[in-house]
Amino acid sequence: MASAFSPKALAGQALLSRAPLGLATLVLAVPLAAAALSAVFAGGGEAWQHIVSTDLLRFSLTTAVVLVLTALLVIAAAIPAAWLVTMHAFPGRGLFEWLLILPLAAPGYVVAFAYSDLMGVAGPLQSAVREATGLGARDYWFPDINSPAGLAFILAGTLYPYVYLSARAAFTTTSVCAIEAARTLGTPPLRTIWRVALPAARPAIAAGLALALMEAAADFGAADYLGVRTLTVGLFRAWSSFGDAGAAARMAMLLLVLAAALQWIERGQRGRAGSEATSKRWRQIERTPLPAGPGALAALFCFGLVVWGFGAPLLRLGWIALETGHRGAGLWGPLATSLTLAALGTAVCVMLGLSVALGVRRGGALAQLARSVLAGGYAVPGAVLALGAIVAAATFQINLVGPFAVLLLVWVYACRFTTAGAEPIGAALARAPASMGDAARALSQSPAQRIWRVELPVARSGAWVAALILFVEILKELPATLMLRPANWDTLAVRAYDYASDERLAAAALPCLMIVAAGLAPVLVLSWQLARSRPGQP
Amino acid sequence: MPARFSLVSSLSALAALSACGNAADTAQTPDTTATEAAAEPQILTLYSARHYDGDEALYDRFEAETGIRVRARESRAAQLLETMKAEGAASPADVVIAADAGTLWRFKDAGLTQSVESEKLDSAIPAALRDVDGHWFGLAKRYRVIAYDKENVAPDSIAAFADLSGEAFDGEICARSSSNIYNLSLLGHLIETQGAEAAEAWAGSVSGNFARDPAGGDTDQIKAVAAGACQVAIANHYYWFRLAGSESESDRQVTEKTALVFANAGDGPHVNVTAGAVAANAPNREAAVAFLEFLATETGQTMLVAETREYPVVAGVPLPDGLIPPPDAEPVTPLSRLGENQVAAQRMFDRAGWP
Repeated sequence: MASAFSPKALAGQALLSRAPLGLATLVLAVPLAAAALSAVFAGGGEAWQHIVSTDLLRFSLTTAVVLVLTALLVIAAAIPAAWLVTMHAFPGRGLFEWLLILPLAAPGYVVAFAYSDLMGVAGPLQSAVREATGLGARDYWFPDINSPAGLAFILAGTLYPYVYLSARAAFTTTSVCAIEAARTLGTPPLRTIWRVALPAARPAIAAGLALALMEAAADFGAADYLGVRTLTVGLFRAWSSFGDAGAAARMAMLLLVLAAALQWIERGQRGRAGSEATSKRWRQIERTPLPAGPGALAALFCFGLVVWGFGAPLLRLGWIALETGHRGAGLWGPLATSLTLAALGTAVCVMLGLSVALGVRRGGALAQLARSVLAGGYAVPGAVLALGAIVAAATFQINLVGPFAVLLLVWVYACRFTTAGAEPIGAALARAPASMGDAARALSQSPAQRIWRVELPVARSGAWVAALILFVEILKELPATLMLRPANWDTLAVRAYDYASDERLAAAALPCLMIVAAGLAPVLVLSWQLARSRPGQP
Repeated sequence: MPARFSLVSSLSALAALSACGNAADTAQTPDTTATEAAAEPQILTLYSARHYDGDEALYDRFEAETGIRVRARESRAAQLLETMKAEGAASPADVVIAADAGTLWRFKDAGLTQSVESEKLDSAIPAALRDVDGHWFGLAKRYRVIAYDKENVAPDSIAAFADLSGEAFDGEICARSSSNIYNLSLLGHLIETQGAEAAEAWAGSVSGNFARDPAGGDTDQIKAVAAGACQVAIANHYYWFRLAGSESESDRQVTEKTALVFANAGDGPHVNVTAGAVAANAPNREAAVAFLEFLATETGQTMLVAETREYPVVAGVPLPDGLIPPPDAEPVTPLSRLGENQVAAQRMFDRAGWP
């Protein structure tokens, strides 16, 4: 016992956890720092003055509106869905349990292409309305997809699985005993949800929501395609209309503040309700069957969610691809590139995510710094990080061809996405009581043994989730890949975006469908793995 | 263990990748090409803002004629520009191809292009369609036109862009966002022909006549006219011709309800170009010039515009399928001016409330 707490052992432990963490922080902070430096030193030019005096307030308000609407829609969709499939039995429940994850495989820009076509004035929905009613195009009201609300509708449709997954995991892993205890005490069901289940799940829900909102704030593809002027789009405009990277970097700093605020709110939630599962009694949840009416409503609700973020947009793109008979020649190369980059990026991000999550668990200023850097990276549009990485590489006179460009791209993926990997791993670790680590220490396990024998196995389910989320995220990534990929390294996302922004939706449809198909397999494995990884099950 | 498997496979992928990267790099160094010219083809690195499947055939044809292999990096122009800025002197780019003279001006303005003197290019391409300093060369023409509802609009009433500012079109105009380079170049042209004050007034009146807030691309505006959401739309000509030649019946129906006017921008129609330039730090300058010259031949021109439905710049080259003959008037305003007016145009649009 004495040896485990000896100064030498503690120093060893500190080194083991801090060294990779410090390195990771340093590596990940470089592009952000480069962007920040150019914001400070090159950002105050005429273009910036122009943006401040004309559009900055509107960009910021638009972003705020989009984020608030997205958050509301995501919560309204994901939490009831997670509760229903975890706690109740209704027709199709088993199917919906995993169908609800599918929108994860559909990037926001793909869904935006489809909805913009579906809901446009010349699209099938409005044409049908006109045909059915005999009205002219200007005689009726139709929701405008090219609006902040339309963008929120699209982003929420693709992002609700983040909260659905985290809420479901929390509902499942919260000891059912706590809920049953509430029931035994005669608490009505809604009150049980409100007073027992939701407070226990709140940290997980907040973490999922924070991820979803950072993703929404960093979205470029969908907002740009719909013409909604968010800060991220404004940033690109500063860049492409005024050619002023410094002004763009200043707007990036605003997004950074936004990310820090989200992170801060999320941490506040965690601090207030950080409940560690202390009950060791796990058992199969007994799902309460819903009566026919509510059961059908529950099924309809879940079905609607799947159609919203997945079914409708993909069927539309499938139809376009079939109608125009676009062949997929020349798309195998981009497919291979997409898969290779996603695999590489995932491997790097999971390793970084593990070291950060383990470091955060041990606490300390460095760990918090690492976490903030990562969260910042997640909220910064990929293109800004890519720019930062390019500036950094140029400073060290690294030539950006061939493997270096790929390494740089993987580096940017790591800056951007490691937080998406660190969060599930951290959550998995957080579910294990801290006393487990103390017990290991008491049993004279060396720090390395503690990591290897106690924490890594606990982190494993989280690492799986992390790997799959990362793979799909990187597969969908657009702006950084656009900027950094070497010649002849087009990914499917790049092709889809190029075609769509060139107003050739027919050509874009097939690569879009391929991105989703390639992302589906990991999402399905994720779903299966989650069903299995519930504590108390073999 | 699956996690370990994915790591191993990723690492081997990286190894494979470095191998191809190295091969490509060595091919680029001049002394290697000199000693192993027979085995290793010369490489031309092309930064292109075009994304057409047919471009592969174009590159193959160039390789068949010259033995120079084209390695293309396709991206949006703004991203190519930022990438080249960051790459600086180490940039592998030999040639840049992008749509719109305004875009090429940005590359020139950033010092990313160089002056080229070529008999072949100068004689094949009209002077107004080239940069005054020889930094870029127009390779294909695109007209910004007015698409109109055949049932409700007389083509005479929209003979000029200036007509769109009239009260007759109150609530009847569809156009895309002002940040789009095509609109910036159009206003840049109007600044040249009408003067800054009139151009800004025009932008204000036209945005006052909008049927709806700008959203979507040019194709969406044309479709909106066909659906009856507005009577006229500003668009580039080839979007209409692509709809006309589409596999989709609903696309073709759009072009049955609409038609085009090559509207006058003050000194003739608003013509713009897809243009090419030699990169300032081109490692392979000779091949770069040869590539531009190839694109100005009849073969190059035909292949360049077949899929895009742009107009060839070189006289006598047959038009792509389905295109109507272009207006006779040759452009007067040098396209170089459009880029120079670009920032002013964006600010005018912002002040005029054209989102």
